[in-house]
Amino acid sequence: MLGVEMTDRPGRRLRAGHQGGRAADGDRAAGGSVPGGADLVALLNRVGRGDEDAFSAVYEQVAPTVFGLVQRVLRDPAQAEEVAQEVMLDVWRAASRFEPDRGSPQAWVATIAHRRAVDRVRSAQAATRRDDQAAAQAPEGHDGVAEAVEAKLERERVRRCLGALTELQRESIVLAYYGGHTYREVAGLLGIALGTTKTRMRDGLIRLRDCLGVTA
Amino acid sequence: MTRRRPGEGRRGLSRIRPGRAELHTLAGPYALNALPPRDRARFERHAAACDACAQEVRGLLETTARLAGAAAVPPAAGLRERVLAEAARTRQLPPVAAGLGAARWPWRARPAAASGGGPARPPWLRRAALALSAGFAAAAVAFGAAALVTQHSLSQSQARDHLLAAVLTAPDAKMTSAAMAGGGTAAIVMSHREHALAVSCAGLPALPAGKAYELWLMGPLGERAAAMLPRPSHGMTSPVVATGLRAGDMVELTVEPAAGSPRPTSPPILRVSL
Repeated sequence: MLGVEMTDRPGRRLRAGHQGGRAADGDRAAGGSVPGGADLVALLNRVGRGDEDAFSAVYEQVAPTVFGLVQRVLRDPAQAEEVAQEVMLDVWRAASRFEPDRGSPQAWVATIAHRRAVDRVRSAQAATRRDDQAAAQAPEGHDGVAEAVEAKLERERVRRCLGALTELQRESIVLAYYGGHTYREVAGLLGIALGTTKTRMRDGLIRLRDCLGVTA
Repeated sequence: MTRRRPGEGRRGLSRIRPGRAELHTLAGPYALNALPPRDRARFERHAAACDACAQEVRGLLETTARLAGAAAVPPAAGLRERVLAEAARTRQLPPVAAGLGAARWPWRARPAAASGGGPARPPWLRRAALALSAGFAAAAVAFGAAALVTQHSLSQSQARDHLLAAVLTAPDAKMTSAAMAGGGTAAIVMSHREHALAVSCAGLPALPAGKAYELWLMGPLGERAAAMLPRPSHGMTSPVVATGLRAGDMVELTVEPAAGSPRPTSPPILRVSL
């Protein structure tokens, strides 16, 4: 789990850099696209026509990402379940509007999930609950035997590519994406200028994209 | 004041105060969903007129999706049952073709209003206003879902629809209409909060080849080219969204060379205080 090496909280070091460094270009062959992508497009198409069996299959494929990401941002398993449920129902409702030539289903679902999670975080009430939770270790989870080998490999690839970034690039990306912070907050947490934060985020994502062999 | 050709009318969308270079760097925070709503809207407007930005954002969103995948954790089994049960009783949205888009704009959905001949009369305006207020509710529903889609898929037309919906659904949206000097009626929906307005016309006189209608915003500091109207079809133009609206602005419409003018070269056929 990423969280073992890295944290999305300020004041703690992100240690992935120690093991990265040479990941660039190394992962293209390992497969840039997420497995099952094509199937997922076809399934979403059926979901858009009200096919509940297809929706069940979509759930199997994307629910771990949705729940994991939301939990990562919210750091509260109970709230994460609520929000993950909202996200999955968004997918059900809006499936007919997914357009495959504009992006992958994974990107579509991740965007919805991250928006929902961050909306929850940025509402004041949830922020209080989250702060309470922050005292405890985030539920990083050991998925153990249940975890697919595929997922493990993907996690490892992403971790290595994150490790290949500069420290500021990595910290700003992790704080924003997994921490759910705005770029202004990230600038404050890292004590760097706004403009620097923006460019670090962009440069870092571009490097990450190239390292992961993302084609879009 | 930038010179624009008719096909580039959407350039008006990118007329935003911060420099282009600065806006471009927002692609990173945008893909990380680290922008507050205001900056997010500004960047989307910018990307609507910038293919390179839209393309970059797509790649960066696929990248952040990989970050999401790397955080995957199987949820408790009970969640699956709850989600499936809830879905079974949740209504789905219709495909986007029937949702947000030009067809939603009431003036186009009601060609009969224009074929009555002559300039539109007050009863028509009342009907249009009614249709529009119904459109507000419908657009608000469509917008919620469209927002899910547009976030990761910035095509020009989608971003334009997005902006149009933002104007139509703004809490301070106000509609006005006005007759034009040479005949025809303009309907204007504006939102100071969104710093934008949408303009659509009916009963416009046809123009000779090489001429086009150009929209201007006039403020205390002079005029700004806001948008080129598309070529009217049966006197009607599909809605144009112009951004950069400031307090105290007036909107004007003039006839200009089809390539657009840096400043008005003919007397306005329409002038409305906003």
